[in-house]
Amino acid sequence: MKTIKQISIFLENQQGKLGDILTALKNDNIEIQAASVADTTEFGILRLITSDQTKAAGLLSAKGHLVSLNEVMAIQVDPTTGAFADAVDALTAGGVSISYLYTFHKDGKLVLIIRPASLEKAEEVAAESGLTLVQGWE
Amino acid sequence: MESKFWNEEIETMPRKQLEQLQAERLRKTVEIAMGSKFYAPKFKELGITPESIKSVEDIKRFPFTTKNDLRATYPFGIASVGLDKVVRLHSSSGTTGNPTVILHTKKDLDEWADAMARSMYCIGLRSTDIIQNTSGYGMFTGGLGIQYAAERLGALTVPAGAGNSKRHVKFITDFGTTALHCIPSYATRLAAAFEEEGINPRDTTVKTLIIGAEPHSEAQRRRIEEIWGAKAYNNFGMSEMCGPGVAIECQEQNGMHIWEDNYIVEILDPETLEPVPEGELGELVLTTLNREAMPLFRYRTRDLTRIIPGDCPCGRTHRRLDRFQGRSDDMMIIKGVNTYPIQIEKILMQFPELASDYLITIETIGDNDEMTIEAELKQATDDFAMLQNLTREITRRLKDEILLTPKVKLVGKGVIPQSDGKAKRVVDLRQNH
Repeated sequence: MKTIKQISIFLENQQGKLGDILTALKNDNIEIQAASVADTTEFGILRLITSDQTKAAGLLSAKGHLVSLNEVMAIQVDPTTGAFADAVDALTAGGVSISYLYTFHKDGKLVLIIRPASLEKAEEVAAESGLTLVQGWE
Repeated sequence: MESKFWNEEIETMPRKQLEQLQAERLRKTVEIAMGSKFYAPKFKELGITPESIKSVEDIKRFPFTTKNDLRATYPFGIASVGLDKVVRLHSSSGTTGNPTVILHTKKDLDEWADAMARSMYCIGLRSTDIIQNTSGYGMFTGGLGIQYAAERLGALTVPAGAGNSKRHVKFITDFGTTALHCIPSYATRLAAAFEEEGINPRDTTVKTLIIGAEPHSEAQRRRIEEIWGAKAYNNFGMSEMCGPGVAIECQEQNGMHIWEDNYIVEILDPETLEPVPEGELGELVLTTLNREAMPLFRYRTRDLTRIIPGDCPCGRTHRRLDRFQGRSDDMMIIKGVNTYPIQIEKILMQFPELASDYLITIETIGDNDEMTIEAELKQATDDFAMLQNLTREITRRLKDEILLTPKVKLVGKGVIPQSDGKAKRVVDLRQNH
């Protein structure tokens, strides 16, 4: 399957928690390419795309954080007006429901990180719509 | 001139005579308890007979009774009389294992009403008062116990019951209620309900509050008195002893007179079970002297308190208990409900998503005691909705078990502090603990 790995870290609402995570990654020379936080007043989930997901996950786990490595879909579009909307429209038209989405810029392109209800279905629709799926970067 | 006392002879009885009365009633109580399947064999083994009781000091020969004994003999195993003589039962608010059941004969109810009426009289309530009860009417003794006593006193009694502050506000306003029975936290909540209606509680007819069933500090009492422009008296009761009417403060507001014609009072070291020197802190252990259906001997209340040394200027000779300083077990009393950490643990352990560490924090937020439970999550997930549902489900199941709605917080590893490698389970930040 054409997916990439995302790290999800459980965040209790505690002062210094986010700083601990970011500093740990910095000290090990891991580059954060994209980050997104979902939160309630009680807890949050920090989602990260880094330069080395396996290493980052191992490192944070060892530091006592609750970490899960999971698969998400990455769609690359041109950074032109409307490209983002067109990509989402194509997925929606194909019946893909999106749980969450965040974006970042990489190598002159806009990358959409998408967690659909079903990865298989989303991949199928993306391929039919001619969207470019990314499987990782070197 | 109106008497200061409900029962002057008993309330001001010289100590020596009071102790003779206690010995006499202990003898009578042993005679009754020979009919108990629970006590009779113990008495036989220890050679306890009515004739062998010479003085109140003989209490030291008796075995202790614990809440576990009440659970183990649930529901009628300790009864000293046949059920044909029993007219009512009450059950404790605790929800661990079997509830505890306390039985009453007609005479027990009569004596109970009289003791609580005496307590009301002691704080200045009279037949001219209008007493409104905010306790639930049912298995909880704060409902019917107060009702019968207020009626015995001859006061007009408003059995409004628990909850519905708006209704309480209306009744107090319409009926001209002069006295309220409530738990301390409800006194402040009800005051807030008045303020919402644009009425200053100080402008109401309420002049006396009977507060109890929930630990509270002197500062809290003074605050309640300030808000209401009324006197608030600390009242002590427990269903095992009858209910409200065991001890109450007099108008000196310096310790609760425990009605020693009805109970033998011991303050013991909870470890050694030996008496502590008078005035020192220990566990309150009580023996009933005026009950038939279910007398209890040396009942370990687990409440920590002390006897206030010296005589009370009010003239009552019954000794005074200081404010309770906590518990000799881990029971928590929140909003008048008794809870043990083990009940919470039992629920948390039913969730496979949770690891074994948890921390219960109790604090006063505004006027209420609130409980927060931090529960350690076993592993991370990307599923946000699952975590939200999990929090909701844990809250719901805990509420069913402990009858309170705690705030549930999921936490990661290492957040819950460890002390000496052993997890601390309860942090009580309330100022009176």
